[in-house]
Amino acid sequence: MDKRGEEIRDPGKGSGFTRREFLIGIGIGGGAVVLLGQFGVHAIDWARSGDPVLKMVLVDYAKCTGCRTCESACSSRNRPAAIGGKELPGLGNPRYANIRVHSFNPDVDVPNVCAMCADTPCVNACPVEPDQKTGRRALYRDPATRTIRNDSGRCIGCGSCARACASQRTGVITPNRETGKPEHMCTLCGGDPQCVKLCPFGALSYVKVRRDRKFYGLGPEKVAAQLARNWYGTADFGGLK
Amino acid sequence: MSGKPGYHGRILNIDLSTGKIEKVSVPPEDLDKFVGGQGLGMKILWDRLKKPGIDALSPDNPLMFMPGPFSGLPVPSSSRTCVVTKSPITAPVKSDHSHASTVTYSNMGGFFGPEVRFAGYDGIVITGKARVLSCIVIDDEKVEIRDATKFKGMRTDAFDKAILAELGDRGFKTVYIGPAGENLVPYSSILHTAGRAAGRGGSGCVMGSKNLKAIAVKGSGQPTVADHARFLAALEKARSVLYGSAYAKSWAEQGTARAIVGNSNAGTEAVRNYREGTFPEAGKIGGDAARRDVWVRDIACYCCPLACKKSGMTKGKYGGVVHDGPEYETGVMLGSNLMISDMPGLLKAISTIDDLGLDQISTGNVIGFLMEAYERGMIDRSFLDGIDLKWGSVDATLAMIEKIAAKDGVGALAAEGVRALSWHIGKGSEKFAIHVKGLELAAHNIQANQPMALSYVTASRGACHLSGDNIAMQNRRAMLDSTGMCFFPTFEPALEEPMLALLSAITGREYDKAEFEKTGERIFNLEKMFNYREGFRREDDRLPDRFFEDAFTVGPKKGAVLDRNKFQAMLTQYYKERGWDPETTNPGESKLKELGLHSIV
Repeated sequence: MDKRGEEIRDPGKGSGFTRREFLIGIGIGGGAVVLLGQFGVHAIDWARSGDPVLKMVLVDYAKCTGCRTCESACSSRNRPAAIGGKELPGLGNPRYANIRVHSFNPDVDVPNVCAMCADTPCVNACPVEPDQKTGRRALYRDPATRTIRNDSGRCIGCGSCARACASQRTGVITPNRETGKPEHMCTLCGGDPQCVKLCPFGALSYVKVRRDRKFYGLGPEKVAAQLARNWYGTADFGGLK
Repeated sequence: MSGKPGYHGRILNIDLSTGKIEKVSVPPEDLDKFVGGQGLGMKILWDRLKKPGIDALSPDNPLMFMPGPFSGLPVPSSSRTCVVTKSPITAPVKSDHSHASTVTYSNMGGFFGPEVRFAGYDGIVITGKARVLSCIVIDDEKVEIRDATKFKGMRTDAFDKAILAELGDRGFKTVYIGPAGENLVPYSSILHTAGRAAGRGGSGCVMGSKNLKAIAVKGSGQPTVADHARFLAALEKARSVLYGSAYAKSWAEQGTARAIVGNSNAGTEAVRNYREGTFPEAGKIGGDAARRDVWVRDIACYCCPLACKKSGMTKGKYGGVVHDGPEYETGVMLGSNLMISDMPGLLKAISTIDDLGLDQISTGNVIGFLMEAYERGMIDRSFLDGIDLKWGSVDATLAMIEKIAAKDGVGALAAEGVRALSWHIGKGSEKFAIHVKGLELAAHNIQANQPMALSYVTASRGACHLSGDNIAMQNRRAMLDSTGMCFFPTFEPALEEPMLALLSAITGREYDKAEFEKTGERIFNLEKMFNYREGFRREDDRLPDRFFEDAFTVGPKKGAVLDRNKFQAMLTQYYKERGWDPETTNPGESKLKELGLHSIV
């Protein structure tokens, strides 16, 4: 397992740019070119977006077995059930999970979860006028949890956030089938992500956001294609993207 | 909806002849008595086939995809779908009914069973025959039968990709047949995720007979449970037993492939068409070798902490993507049983068999039989259409696999299985035609393993290695395969208590160990009654002569052979303990009464 892990796993000792270093990097090239390659001009937005301490759920694809326990753990916490007047964890219907495991042929499984982007392309794409008091659009970063949330009362269900997420990052934001309002933004379960806790294989960890990680912010198809090439020498998924 | 906790209380009934789609409620007492999965499937089969001798390939034979009460809930390792139907393979020695055959069931892991429950059904029952090759697409309440003629003849790996491209949504979970099933090879399998299969007993052939290429299902719902808080507590307990345990890690390390070397060392492996129990070259095709040279991933089914499935890649002449294997059954049936010790060649054979949609076990067994008949000069090269079918030949094995799936030349006869082959060839070849009731034996050899011999001869679907080595085990397994849980985690004894608590919390019926086994006994006896009605008797519970005559010549169990008298005494004792007539194997009225089957049969 370790043999292949080295090939694809983020070594964890990347260059760890700070915003300041990154801004310098843009000027002088070097490592930042990689970031520009990955995020294009959005990297500049990011670098300008400040340095809040953001945390996220990180996937180790070499350890993931595709069992989808993370989906059920997420759903159980974030979609609780009212039982006899008490709120209990739900039965874990994966339909309501904010983390979703995408499975491919050849056998690659890619858990996809909000990347907690500092530059929030999803929020930037929200056309709802910012509230005068809070400055928030319908989609906003919660200052307490630092997660992305939607004010469904003001949301117009236009799907702009989902499109921005899909074209620029992971594509995890999905419009509700009926209302078009965004779903599946990670809540981090109040700082104790259940997916991380209940993954039987230790494939998930709760870490600081670092945009220089190998697969950071990529959609599942792109991740799967890279993994499939490494593991099986092919990236043919039969045409479905 | 029945309002019965733990269930949706309805099955999806599809008649492919008329195109009629119905959501039919299940009597609550059937859920109590037969639970789900294998048990509920058996009850529906009994209800639908009111008389013996109905042709398994006729439109009347229902093909059922049955999850259980655990399915669709995050109960560890509860990913299984039991495919239940009437067997197109088995037959009694003699019967008044021309198409007499046993029940058959085959159980697969993955994601299909849970998804059926997400879509809102406790099972899918398919009857009839579509006019053209078709597929069924289920999206919650919306159910469609679609033309699938453009997929005709498509192999399963390509189809697995093509169907999702067609549907445009990777959220669908699919099951499908390959060319073998379309060609009505009796031992065809039903595939899922290109590497998981309901392999045994010919369910893929029944699916082919209905002109059904595939079922795709996707859903957003979930059943409720009777006692929510108790369910959550028992779930936590079940996870704590398995998570991080040495037991779970051992499965993740090698899956069932560990036994390729282990059983060879114990003298209980199928080697050289069951002539031997030990394969000196087992190390070349075992779990250690696969971990070193082939596997790149450990893969788990829905909510399973064991991850026994492996995938990888081989290079060279036989190179390619390996969806699964070697596992114990596939590695032995296509490896040691054929004296093949070339790992890439073995994996090429395994992946080709899955790609064509054949049962790995029966295919390996049939080719082993032909290799032996060829070696003994009972058949010549022209009989084999020019294939030089020598022990250990990968190329000859691959050629034979293709011929079987296409029913081409000798493949048409080989597709009928070892019993039909031995009748055709004669010359005493029945002695080494390794089957029970027409279904080929699996990878556990029995000269030195009499309890496994009991499993093979008394199993309800013909030679089944999973039925159980004794009565209590058989009853427990019949019940377990009705719940949706896999049996691999249940070797861990500490799981039993939380598993029973989960079942009780979900269904609202209190299951202790005794009630669990009793329910399994009821299911096993209904299967027996089905087979008995078809004409199966004690004389059908027989083994080929090889096991009583050909003592092992190598390995730690050298000299081992079964004793006819001891074997018959064991059987007599078995029927008596079952409460069946030892002469006829008829369960009889008092047993049926005791199990609450009296009013049904």
